[in-house]
Order: sequence, then structure tokens, then C-alpha cells
Amino acid sequence: MINDKNSKKIVDIIQDFSRRHSLFVLAYGTGCGAIEIPPTMTSRYDAERFGIRGMATPRQADLLLITGYLASKTLKRVIRAYEQMQDPKYVIGFGSCTINGGMYWDSYNTIKILSDYIPVDVYINGCMPRPEAVITGFIELQNLIKEGKANGAQKYKENLEWYRENQRKVIKDWKMPDYNW
Amino acid sequence: MTDTILDKEQKLVQLLEQTFKKLSGKVVRQRRVTVSVEKELVPSVLSYAKSQLGYIHLSHISCVDWPENNNFEIIYILWSPADKVQLFIKTLINRENPEIDNVDMIWKHANTYEREIREMYGIQFNGLVGAQEFILEDWDDMPPMRRDFDTVDYVDNNYTFRPGREDAGDVREEIIKRSGEDIPDFAKKYSRD
Repeated sequence: MINDKNSKKIVDIIQDFSRRHSLFVLAYGTGCGAIEIPPTMTSRYDAERFGIRGMATPRQADLLLITGYLASKTLKRVIRAYEQMQDPKYVIGFGSCTINGGMYWDSYNTIKILSDYIPVDVYINGCMPRPEAVITGFIELQNLIKEGKANGAQKYKENLEWYRENQRKVIKDWKMPDYNW
Repeated sequence: MTDTILDKEQKLVQLLEQTFKKLSGKVVRQRRVTVSVEKELVPSVLSYAKSQLGYIHLSHISCVDWPENNNFEIIYILWSPADKVQLFIKTLINRENPEIDNVDMIWKHANTYEREIREMYGIQFNGLVGAQEFILEDWDDMPPMRRDFDTVDYVDNNYTFRPGREDAGDVREEIIKRSGEDIPDFAKKYSRD
């Protein structure tokens, strides 16, 4: 039991417990979905009872919320913010724009599938999702962390070439710093 | 009766037509006057309207693409706080080699509108200073606000879609299929066929 690599150690269980009950969200909103975050965080829906709260900088945050459409110009900033975040890190795609373009499907400057560019752990659909749906998404992410399935950051490291190739299709003039994690 | 209502508008058109020979003005309605001039006359008409007629505020510079006539139409929208009249100064420029004089020495904030038009329509403003890149980043295609720019074609070439969009049919038919209900009579007249 002790030497079995597939079984969870007690340390992992404690780690996952603390991780999923202290999800610090990077205070960064793209698109119109950011308007659903204030009611989620404040007294009516009170997301802080799940340990979810805002955090000022990417290096302190665990969770990146992509709230709505992502312009190709914003994608550059999102990738930089995501790469600065410390492990463990998770991404939630929020609204139908991140899933398949949404109502901006024929726009020349918004990306269509978010998970082509950064790994997404949970998608919340809706245009826009109400705070109840947002909290359901958070709980879904907590369950994934509990089962050890929220491994987007690892996926990003292993398939970095594939992600970079997709990112370079949108960001043609590549002047991005390389972070060595 | 209408004469007295449109008095100041007609006086404005008269005044402009007397000053500039190659100019035709028209009173659209109360408080709205359009004037069409040639593109060489634009800076002098603008500075005349600003200094002599009291049109001290430039609300916007707008651009319309007319591929049918091979033209771009640049519209300067001025506002006079004293007269409370909006003056539209329109000019047509050729679509093949679009260029026009910049007017940011008359109004400083014209610079912003001109940079936007330069980026979105590809019109060259002679003497305009400012970074080439304004709103778009790394853009190497045709200026996107031109009407012959095909957004759907651009999206097909540059982005991929998850499967599922192509079979988006009439929502009502799908509801009938799933629930077995019939469309109520009041809803039938809004049906697509």
C-alpha cells in the first residue's frame, strides 16, 4: 500500500483538500461575463464560503477565469498571465464564446475555441451563465481536484509545442517572454 | 411657417455657398445641415466654420465605404453650441488611392479619429503623425471595415470550430420533435416558412 504509486498518499489528500478549498481567482475579466463575477463574490451568492476569492496578481492566483469572448489582442495578455501563474493552476472557460465562438462566431478578431490556446479544466456554458451556474462550475472544478483530474497545467507543459503552434497562428508578431517553470 | 423654423439653417447654407464656390449644401431638417465639398477644400471649410461661424466642436469623423461608386465618403460632424446646429461636411475620395489632408491642426482630437479610420479603412491622411498600429495588433490582411472584406471567409481560414454549429436548425421544430407538442396558433405566424 505504501509503495503503490497509483494510490493516493495521505499528504496528497491533505494537499488536494487545501487546494480545492482555497481557490484564488485572478481578478481579470475579458468580455462581458465579468459582470457576473461581482454578484457571485458579494453577499447574495457569496462564493467565499467555498474558499473562492479574488487575488490581485497572477503569481498569487490559482484560477484563471476567462469570462466571455477573447479578442486576439487579449489572448496575448491571457497567455502571459497564465504562464506567470504558479503551479497548481486551473482555467475555467466561461460562457459560450469560449466554447465555440458564441455570438462572435463570424468576428475577425475573437478566438473561437479557448482550449486550443490554453488548457481548460471546466467549461461553463450559457450566455451569460448566472452566478448559480458559475458556482456549479467552481464545485465541478473542486470535484476534479479531489479526483486528481484537474491537470491542465501538466497537459500544457507536455504539449507545449502544439499550444505554441496554435498561439502563433493568432499572435503573428511573437515577442513573448519565455518563463522557465 | 417652415421658413421661420429653418431660418438659421438656410442662412448657414447660403453663407457657406457664397464663400466657397464649389460647395453644395442642403438642410436636412431642423438643426441638421449637410454640405458636400471636394477633398481639397475640406481644411479651409473646416477652419472657416470653426473660426467664423462658431462651429467650434468636432463631434466625430466618420467614414463610409461605397464600393459601388468606387468611393470612400469622409464625414466631419461639427456642432455649434451657440446655434445648436449640427453641420455634416461630406467629401468623396477615390477608393483606388485613398488619401486626404489631415485636420488635426484645427482640432487636436481629430488625430484619434483619423488614426482609427486609417487603420480600419486604409485611408492615408497626409501629414498625420502617430503610431501606425492603433486598435488592431499584428494585422496583415485587408483593412477590416472595408465592405469587400469577407469576415466569414477570414474566420474560416484562420480559426477552427468545434463540430455542432452546422446543424443549428429551427428551434421550434426541435422542441416539437422532443416534446410531441404542437406549435400554438399565435406562434405559427412567426414561423420561418
